[in-house]
Amino acid sequence: MSELFPRKQVMGFVFSLVLTAAALTVYFMDVSFAVGMTILLATAFIQAGVQLVGFMHAGESEDKVAIYANIYYGIAIALVTIFGTLLILVWDM
Amino acid sequence: MKVDNSLPLEYGTEQNKLNILGFWIFLGAEVMLFATLFATYFTLENRTGNGPAGAEIFELTPVLIETILLLTSSFTIGLGVHAMRLGRKNAMITFFSITLLLGLAFLGVEIYEFTHYASIGAGLQVSAFTGILLTTLGTHGAHVTLGLFWGLFIIMQVKKRGLTPETANKSFIFSLYWHFLDVVWIFIFSFIYLKGMM
Repeated sequence: MSELFPRKQVMGFVFSLVLTAAALTVYFMDVSFAVGMTILLATAFIQAGVQLVGFMHAGESEDKVAIYANIYYGIAIALVTIFGTLLILVWDM
Repeated sequence: MKVDNSLPLEYGTEQNKLNILGFWIFLGAEVMLFATLFATYFTLENRTGNGPAGAEIFELTPVLIETILLLTSSFTIGLGVHAMRLGRKNAMITFFSITLLLGLAFLGVEIYEFTHYASIGAGLQVSAFTGILLTTLGTHGAHVTLGLFWGLFIIMQVKKRGLTPETANKSFIFSLYWHFLDVVWIFIFSFIYLKGMM
């Protein structure tokens, strides 16, 4: 039975729950917007990393380089789109 | 068909490897889809018109339940793939079934949430904010719905045909999709709900 619950995945799950709890501090504690956003950015991106590397096995095959290049490219374009939009339409710079 | 037995079944053939790489590229496009939705959400977040703002309608309890359900389902499908690699077909089917049940529960809570929003005057057409909020959540929910049917068909195939390079490959690709939906939810949870309630 225990062979069905590999340590790495159980730890990944526990870590995800801990990160979710950490993210909740912005709700239960009185933090400033800047501090809150810093906490959320950190917990969200770490958790996404746990999923991609730990659960999705992004680095296990010989296509590793292509897969990581694709992920980084996707994230880069996503961030440019989101922050570019914020810069022009919300922060009015 | 040439099967390389040194690799997990789902990577066993050249076609299998290409399918997995191809699916990662598809997920890259999905990242972009959700990035545009988030960009639009952040732009329209404060355009509430005569409707309610996020802080007035968001409730922590259902959102937290949804988060735990989806996180756990992502864990169980990971265990499913692990069981598949051990050749434990029945354990794999059990884990995949638990995953789909958790997904179904998630969808149930989300449907409750949507009807609740509609009942308190936060429907799709009330303001730019409610429009983009429900579009973003709905796009994710539609992906989960699709995933439920996809997963169900995968389980049926594995039951019928056993673990072959083809069914293992399909199951692994489905697990990638399901983990990806959890990643998207993490961002929705953090930057729509928690940011809105902060």
